[in-house]
Formats: sequence, structure tokens, C-alpha cells
Amino acid sequence: MTNKPLLSVRNLSVRFPSPDGDVVAVRDLSFDLGRRETLGVIGESGCGKSTLSYAIMDYLSPGARRSGAVLFKGQDLLLKSEREMREIRGNRIAMVYQNPYSALNPSLTIGEQLDEVSRAHRGLGKEAAREASLGTLRELSLGDPEGVARRYPHQISGGIQQRVCIAMALLCRPDIMILDEPTTALDVTTEAVILDIVAGLKERYDMSMIYISHDIGIVNKVSDRVAVMYRGEIVEHGPQERIYERPEHPYTRALINCMPRAGVKKESTTLNTIPGYVKRRSADEDGCPFAERCVKRAPGCEDDYGLAEQEPGHFAACGRAYADERPWTREAEAAASATGAEPAPAGADERIAPAAEGGTEPLLSLRGVGKFYRNQKKTVRALDGVDFDVFKDDVLGVVGESGCGKSTAGHVIAGLAAADRGSISFDGGEIAGSWRRRDRRALREVQLIFQNPGRSLNPSFSVQAILERPLKKLLGVKDPAERRRRAVEMLRKVDLGEEYLSRRPRRLSGGEKQRVALARAFLSSPKLLVCDEATSALDVSVQASVLNLLNELQAESGASYLFISHDLNVVNYVSDHVLVMYLGRVCEYGRRDEVVTPPYHPYTEALLSAAPEVDPARRDKPIRLKGSPPDPTRPIRGCPFAGRCHKKIGPVCDETPPPRLALSATHHIYCHLQAEGLQGAVRL
Amino acid sequence: MNKLGYALRRNPAAAVGLVALAAWVVVALVGPSMLRFGHTAMDMESQLSAPGLNGHALGTDALGRDILARIVYGSRSILSVALLTSLFSSIAGVALGFSAGYFGGKIDAAFMRFLDILMAIPPLVLSMVVLGALGDSSVGALTLIVSIAYTPATARVARSALLSCKGLEYVDAARLRGESHAYIMFVEILPNAIGPILVEVTARFAYSIMMIASLGFLGVGLQPPTPDWGMMVIENKTVIREAPWAVLYPSLAIASLVIAVSLISDFLAKVLIHDE
Amino acid sequence: MASLVLKKLGGMALTLVAMSLVIFMLVELIPGDAAQRILGQSATPEAVASLREAMGLDDPALARYARWAGGVLRGDLGESAYMRGVRIADIFWRRVGASMTLAAASFLIFVPLSIFFGVLAGIRAGRLSDSVISFFGLATMALPEFVSGILLMALFSVRLKLLPIASMIPMGESLWQNLDILVLPALSVTFVMFGYVSRMQRSAMIGVMKSDYVRAAVLKGLPRRRVIFRHALKNALLPTVTVIGMNMGWLFGGLIVVETLFGYPGLGSLTLSAVKTLDLPLIEACVLFITAVYVVSTTATDLLYGFLNPRIRFSGGAYE
Repeated sequence: MTNKPLLSVRNLSVRFPSPDGDVVAVRDLSFDLGRRETLGVIGESGCGKSTLSYAIMDYLSPGARRSGAVLFKGQDLLLKSEREMREIRGNRIAMVYQNPYSALNPSLTIGEQLDEVSRAHRGLGKEAAREASLGTLRELSLGDPEGVARRYPHQISGGIQQRVCIAMALLCRPDIMILDEPTTALDVTTEAVILDIVAGLKERYDMSMIYISHDIGIVNKVSDRVAVMYRGEIVEHGPQERIYERPEHPYTRALINCMPRAGVKKESTTLNTIPGYVKRRSADEDGCPFAERCVKRAPGCEDDYGLAEQEPGHFAACGRAYADERPWTREAEAAASATGAEPAPAGADERIAPAAEGGTEPLLSLRGVGKFYRNQKKTVRALDGVDFDVFKDDVLGVVGESGCGKSTAGHVIAGLAAADRGSISFDGGEIAGSWRRRDRRALREVQLIFQNPGRSLNPSFSVQAILERPLKKLLGVKDPAERRRRAVEMLRKVDLGEEYLSRRPRRLSGGEKQRVALARAFLSSPKLLVCDEATSALDVSVQASVLNLLNELQAESGASYLFISHDLNVVNYVSDHVLVMYLGRVCEYGRRDEVVTPPYHPYTEALLSAAPEVDPARRDKPIRLKGSPPDPTRPIRGCPFAGRCHKKIGPVCDETPPPRLALSATHHIYCHLQAEGLQGAVRL
Repeated sequence: MNKLGYALRRNPAAAVGLVALAAWVVVALVGPSMLRFGHTAMDMESQLSAPGLNGHALGTDALGRDILARIVYGSRSILSVALLTSLFSSIAGVALGFSAGYFGGKIDAAFMRFLDILMAIPPLVLSMVVLGALGDSSVGALTLIVSIAYTPATARVARSALLSCKGLEYVDAARLRGESHAYIMFVEILPNAIGPILVEVTARFAYSIMMIASLGFLGVGLQPPTPDWGMMVIENKTVIREAPWAVLYPSLAIASLVIAVSLISDFLAKVLIHDE
Repeated sequence: MASLVLKKLGGMALTLVAMSLVIFMLVELIPGDAAQRILGQSATPEAVASLREAMGLDDPALARYARWAGGVLRGDLGESAYMRGVRIADIFWRRVGASMTLAAASFLIFVPLSIFFGVLAGIRAGRLSDSVISFFGLATMALPEFVSGILLMALFSVRLKLLPIASMIPMGESLWQNLDILVLPALSVTFVMFGYVSRMQRSAMIGVMKSDYVRAAVLKGLPRRRVIFRHALKNALLPTVTVIGMNMGWLFGGLIVVETLFGYPGLGSLTLSAVKTLDLPLIEACVLFITAVYVVSTTATDLLYGFLNPRIRFSGGAYE
């Protein structure tokens, strides 16, 4: 990088006043951004990555104070007046947000919201501005830009909304585009399309980008350089491959290792986790922000601290931790984590053996299950004839995008919604559809964990009340002392101490809340636990520890899980069997290893191809689905995936429901193609 | 408790309101025993006398009655009736609104339609017609009618408070324990919905004061000899030129009380609902 | 959208019918014998009985309702029970006109004022101007109409002697020749409505200014004026439309008090005297009208809201 950096941030700090003293959101941040360069900023919640972008744009809440310098083309943005900043915003530096729908004004047409940017900054007249808007939409491969421009935000899909937001940011050909988690709110397949677009932007428009995300896989896909943030500081930054190959800072390393990804199986590895949790940073705190959670901590660590160049272009705030490992290879690391980490649960290999099916009675069986929601005229087919089994002491991962019916399936099984059609049998007998008609035993044996732990625990109850209630209600434990004893015992099982009993959910972190929810569910010793996106709302490191806990509890209790998630990597890590759903129907079912290797259902292939790969070395030919999932209210005669399938044969796919094709004793799909046509090119 | 003190310090207006309300309550409780004149005693020598004359601190009205005494006695009736109506309408409103919101479906739809119809008659008109027709409006009748007139509004608030909690997953978790409907409504949801409901109760209290005063003004509220601030205004309206104090003091009494309660209600809204 | 309009209009018609039934039943429930009351205590039982028959009071309730409702639909509001021989319609509509004029005058004052100050307070939230406006709104909202009326009267009529105390129209003259009698009553009603609507508008504005799309508009570098007037205002006005509509019925309730205070010859004071004299047919007519105003205005507001809100006007459904 020989030219001068486009953006140079020097010792940027941002503080907010709060009743308990000042909070430091960003501390002493320094980095450069060159021309045509994409900087990926990774961090978990609370690390200050969003605050960083708002600090650059000067859009912080009134009490915030910035210090340091942000040099943009030589001029310090911190010194600019509001009027000067207005000329820069949207014009020289533009932003794209996480939720495209809420970033668009519901009362204005798309066209107007696009045009106003050109009119404000480039002084274009009405027609010229509209031409510019339509042109940019066309460049982003939007068919029918006129139609989009005429419409209101609620009339277009999420993927198109985000493309509109990107177009809005591009209109003035800015020097820098800041993207704050732009794909988090989108489905995996839509996300893949957007990421492709984003990756091509900087060359096409001669732009630099700052791409903020919590997902390393995504950041790797689009960035040249990566910066890792923790508690308001950059703890490491450098070229993207180097960060992945050779992370210097313990936090970076821990972050990478705690993500489930290709090749990591629960039988052989528990995910690395980071002990403790993130605390807010007060103004007078100094030294290494990560020290108290660091496994490589040594005396003198807290004070002797600062960003230093470990190799050319690669800076880390801790050069000491892995200094003794040079030279170091990724393979050695993989081996170390496989054996050096906690030993896999005993008897792991036996579980993969086909003892689970073909002769054994399944624990849970769904046959022809349908669930419809009627509102006024339309009927939404949430589940449209679903068959699958869950075996004892087994984890079935259910994966699919929004609208596929996986959550509905979980709710129906748990009894929160009654199926409209079909049968569900549990443990040899029929089980009542609705919770109202289930007896105590059935309620005990099937439990459910929700996605959002903040909403699944009653904020007015203490942890003790939350845990003791099921003991009283479901297990009939009458003695208060006994209830307390069992509650404490359960807390211990989820790695929480007795002191948690008196706390209210508000004072717990996300991970702790989810552990309490797990404790509550396991109190009744369920035979089947439905996990409805149980880790999706958690930070990566917290997710890792909860996944480990889930595995532990499963191995110990022999319960079965129905693990629902949209995240293929997580499903792949945690499951023994996998079920792929699309638009209320089953696409593919089989043992985990069978489903993620060819032959596969075309949709599975597309899903696998779309999932952002954590390891940048693995890059395969992507399959991109056109369009968005079809309207769930229109009845489908043939295959639900026919409209978007890249392997579509012809009219038979639209007219006739695909037959069940057995690819092995334990693996089947629903497709008109034969096994040879399903080999695909994607490998996980 | 000290959180409350901290919040009050940041909202001096609310503290003022609290003090003012407390002052009125004290007046209502012990005021009558400290008065010089009775509230019905007619001092024939001092009709329409200005404040300060003849020991009448706030003057007298057309019948020679001491205005201060009538205001003090009036505070009792207005505070007690308003308190009762806001409590009754809140309890009834919560019971109805919670049930409708919780059970949803056809019950809820019918309930909302029913509420729409009930609320089409302005509460003042409804109360006025019923009380006027009944003739004598005792404290009991007044309380009952105004409570009924106000219940739909409270039911609406209670229903929306419940609906905002109903979709939360801890309710689902309770269902998966086989909890009864009553348990879920009142043990799980109510503690979390209490904020908006409490704000509504205080707001209702303010509206009740306004309503009772207005009904008194229209002549269908509390009947003599019970002094009613509203009635004091209409009684002396004709002599506003000669003795403005006779209408101004009762008016100011009403204004100060309602403003005080409104300030408290506002404060509660800020504190309880913002606290998410 | 068209189907929505039809649905709402249908609902409105149904509600009106239901209301008329409720009002009729309510009034009929009033204890006491109407004929007795009209003739007085000293009337003979035979006279009472014959009057009852003449008034049709012995017919079953539903028949009486049908007779009344049929009459209303034809424009015949019946005869006053108190003022013998007077057809209600003769005095009714003139009073209604006077009240509508008062309501319209008040509407024209408070709507622009409360929107303006509500938006202003919302934009400058937390600052002094906001505190002043908010307090003023709270104070005016807290005052019952007759209190603000009395205070206004004391100031303008007694002290300053600018405006007449009582709103009486001299015989032979029309309302339009005496517009100054409108001022104080209209202002009294305005006070409360201003308080309520400006507070709603303020909180709507604050909510909108905090929204993600306003943030996006600011970060697009748009001039502040455009952000406020083009982006924020449109969305902040929507809830206010609903609030104003919902309060129209309430406004008519407030008219009763104001008209009584100022002696204004409108529907409100007519209703009060009807109640005081237990003139049942007149009570029914007045209450029905007041209720109808509420039902029609809420329906009109719903439709207006649907028209203004693109999410309702143009149905959703993901494009492409």
C-alpha cells in the first residue's frame, strides 16, 4: 500500500455519560483504510463496532464525546461543523444498515427516496435524478427498476430492499461505504446474492468499504483486511488470510475456534469457548481489555499492552501469547484443538453407528402433518404434509430458511399449536395435539427452548421462582427445601452458581439466561427437547458454550433433540441426523454426513453453497438462487422448489409432487431426478 | 425506593404534583375540623363579601356561605368519589380487558365491537342522562354510573397491555407447564403489564375528578347540601361580575387538583413505560 | 382499498343501528312513568292512562323502537314530551347548526395549533420550549371545559370587558351577525383538545425522530428541513389523524358544558334541558345525534387514515 490512506483513524475514543459514570464505547482506536480496500470489522455485541461507524459519521447521541482524529482525505472529520458533515454524509461516505426495511421510510416511494440523494448532493433535477436512480438499480441487477421505484417499501422483498439501500449509498459514487451487518436480517440464500454484489462493488465503483459483522465467514468473503474489536478496542488487524491463518491475539483465536465449521464434528471436538462474559467498559479502566477472560494470561499482562506490528501489516495488541509457537501451521492448530480441548463425550463413535434406525422404534414420528393458518381470505401453508422421525438419544437438526415451517414443526411437536392434519406419535403412543390436552407426563417429556432468552424468562420472576415452578407444577415436589435443592443442583449442571437464584433475568447476560432456560427445561427430565433456534440470538462465543452445554446434557441424559436452526454450520456441528425443509415440505432427510455430501437435493446444494465459509481457503463454485421464496398462500401442485431450482427438469417439477427417493437405508430425498443428477459440485 | 427518589429529583414537576395532591388529601381529612365556619351556615350579613372581610378568608357566596369551608368540604366528596370510580373502573376494566385480550378470537372481536358501541356515547352524556333521569344522585349512584362510563376506556388499556405480553415466550413456557388460564393472566402477565395499567388508573383518577366536577356543574352531580365544586361554579355564575371570587376559587381548586394528578400520571408514564 | 371502504361504511351503518337500539333501551329504562311526569302529580289515573295510550306507551318496546327508528329515518324526530305539541325537528336542527358552527370554529383553531406546537415540542424535545409547551398542554388538558371557560370569562368578559358574557343572540338576528359570541365558547373547547392532541403529536414526533428511517435520512446528508418535513412529519401526523377523529365525540360531550356555561343556544344546552325536564323523545333525539357524530367521524377518520397510510392503501405482498 504505497498511496496515502483514504481514511486514517487516530486514537479515536467515544464516551457516553451514564448514571454509573462514563462508559467508554470506543477506546483509542487507530487504523487506516486505503483506496479500493475493504476493511472487515469483526466483533461481538457490545464491542463498539457500530459506535465506530456512527462516530465517523458524527451521529452519536447528544451526550457522547469524541476525541482523537478521523482524517478523511487529509481533513479531520471530528472538527467539521454539522453543515460540512451533511455534505459528506451520503455523498462521500455512505452507510448501509442491518435492517433494510426499517431504514426505508414507509410513507415514501422507493423512487423518491433514491432521487432525493442525487438532488440534494449533485443538484440534479427531477428527471435526471430519476434516471440516475434507475440506472444504479439496473447496475445492481434489478429487473424492472421502474416497477421498484414506483412502489413503497412494504411492497418489495427483503433482498430487493437491501439492494435498494445499497443503490442509495452508491448514487453519489462515494469514496467510502460503511456496511453495518447488512445481511444479518436476510435468509442465507438471499444473503449470498447480496454478498456477491458487495464483493464486486469496490472494483466497479472505485470505492473503499468498511464491512462490519459478527460473522467471520462473511467478513472473509468480502474483506482485504480485517480488524477484530473487543470492548471498544481493536485487538488485532491485518490481512484477511493472515488473521485466519495465524491469529496472534488470544481473543481472535478464541473467536475463530469457537465457530462451528467444516470438518468440526461434535464427536471429536468441543467448541472452544471464552470463559466469563463481556462487561461494560468504564472510563478509568486501563490495560488489556481481554485479560480477565484470557486463557493465556500471565503476570504483567494487564499493563504491558498495546498494538504492535507482529509481522508486516499485521498488528496485534498481544504479541506475547503465541510467540513461542512460531512457526505455526493451521493443521497443527486443528490437531491441538482436537486433542488438547476437552475429550469428546465417551462412546462418541458408537453413536454414529446405524443403531439409531432401521429396526429401532423412533421416539417421535410425524406422518402427513399439516398446519394451516387462515387469516381472512388467505391460507398460509406452514406445514404441508411432513413425514419424519426422531430416534432415541439422537439429535435431529432441522434446517431451512424463513417460511420453511421448521419453527411451526417445533411448535406443533411441543404442543403449542395443534396440527390440522396428520398424526404425531410419541414414545409408542399418540400424543395430544394441544398443550391443553396433554397430561403431566406428556408435558414433562416434551419440552421446548426458545430463541430469545430475554423473552422466554418472565422478567418479574427470580431465577429461583422460574426454576421452582416446574418442580412444583410438573413434578409435584411439595417440600420447598427439596425444590430449592433440586433447583441449585440443576443450576450447577448448567454451570451457574447458587448465587443466581436470587437474581432477576434483567441482570443476566444472554448466555446466562439461555442456561437458566435450559435448566428449566431439563428439570422435568424430558425425553425430547425441541430447540427452536436456541443459539441464534447469542454471540458467537456464547453460542459455543451453550452448544457445548447442549451436547453435554444430551450425552448425559440420553434425551433426543429436535434442533431447529437456519445456520447450517451449527446444525452440522450438533446433529446426528439432518432434515432439510422448504416451504412447509421435507426436501431431504438422512444422517448428517449423508446429507452434507452429494448426492443431495438441489435445495440442500444451494444452501450449502450459500453458507459463508469460515475458512477462506475453501472457495467453491457458488449456486445462486434467483428470486425469493414463493408465496406460501398459493397452493403448490408439484415440487415447492420448482420455481427456483437450478436442476429443474421441466414441467413435471411444477405439476407432480416429487416422489420419495431412497438414496440409502437411512437417507432419502424428494425429487424427480435420479441419484446421478444430484451429485453437485459443493463439498462441505 | 431510592430509585423513586432519584427519578423524582429529575422530574421536579412530578414532585410538585405529589406535594399538591398530598396537601389536598390532608385538607380533606383534617380540614373540616379546623374551619371557622360551617359549610352550610349562611351568614346573612356577609353575602357576596370579598375575601378577607368578616373573617371569611375566601369570601362568601350569594347565600352568605363561607367559600373556604365549602371548598374544604367539597374536597372530601370529590376525592373520595373520584378515587372510588377510578378503582372500580380499573378493576372492572382489567378483568374485562384481560379476558378479552387473553382469549382472543371471537370473544375478543365481539368484545371490541361492544366497546366501540359503548364508547360511542361520550361518558359525560351517558352519565348525565342516567343521573338526570334518576333524579337524586347519591354518592353511590354517582360512583356506579361514572365507573361504568369509564370502564370501556380502562378495558382498552388493560387489553393492549396484556396483548403486548401475550406473544412473549414466557407465556408459551407457562403453557408447556400446563398452567391454568387464570395463572397465566394474573401471575405471569399482570406483573409485567402493571406499568401501563397503573398509569391508566392515575389518569382515570384525574378524569374522574373532571367528570364529577362537570356533572356538578351541570346540576346532576352531588346534590346539596353536599358541597360540590362544580355546583359552586354554576350557582354563582350569574354574579361573576360582582363576586368573581365565588367562581374563581372553586375553579382554581379543581384546576390545581387535576393538574397535580396529571403531573403524577405523566411522571408514572415516563418512569414505568420507559423502563424497558 | 375499495373493499376496505365498503367494509367500514357497512360497519358504520351497523353501529348506528346498534347505537340507536342501545339509546332507545337506555332511555326507556329510566324509571318512572313518562305520562305521569308530563301531567304532574295531581293528574287522575284515567288522564294518565289515556295519555299513555295516545303516546303509545303501552306498546311492546320493540314496536315502539321500530316506530321511533322509522320516524328518524324519515326525518321525523317526534314530538317533545315536555313542550306539548312542539315538533322536535323544528327546534332541533337550528340548535344542531349552532353547535356545529361552534365545533367547526373550535376545530379550525385547535387542529393547526396543536399540530404545530406538538411538532415543535417533539423536535425540540428536552429543551425549554418543549417543557413550556408540554406543561401548557398538560395544564389545558387538565382543566374541565367549564373551568377554562370561567377563567376565560373572568379575563375577557369581566376584567377586560372585551367579549360578551352570555352568548345570546338577540331576537331577529342570526348567529352570523353575532360572531363574537362564538369566541369564548370556542376557546374553552379548544383548550382541552389542544392539550390532548398536542401531547399526542409530540410523542408521535419524538418516536418518529428516533426511528431508523429518520436516521438513514440524516445519514444520507439530507438538509434538516427535508428530513423533518418530508420524512418525519408524514409519519408523525398519521396517529394524530386517528386521535382527532376519536375525540370528536368527546368534543360534543364537552359542548354541553360550554354551552351551558355561556348560555349558547346549541345542541348541548338543549340536551341538558331535555334531561332536566325528562323529555324522553328529545333526549333520544339529542343523544342519537351526538352518538352519530362520533360514529361518522371515527369511520371518516379510519378511512382517511387508510388513504394516507401507504401500507394500507396499497396492499403488500412481496414483489418479485
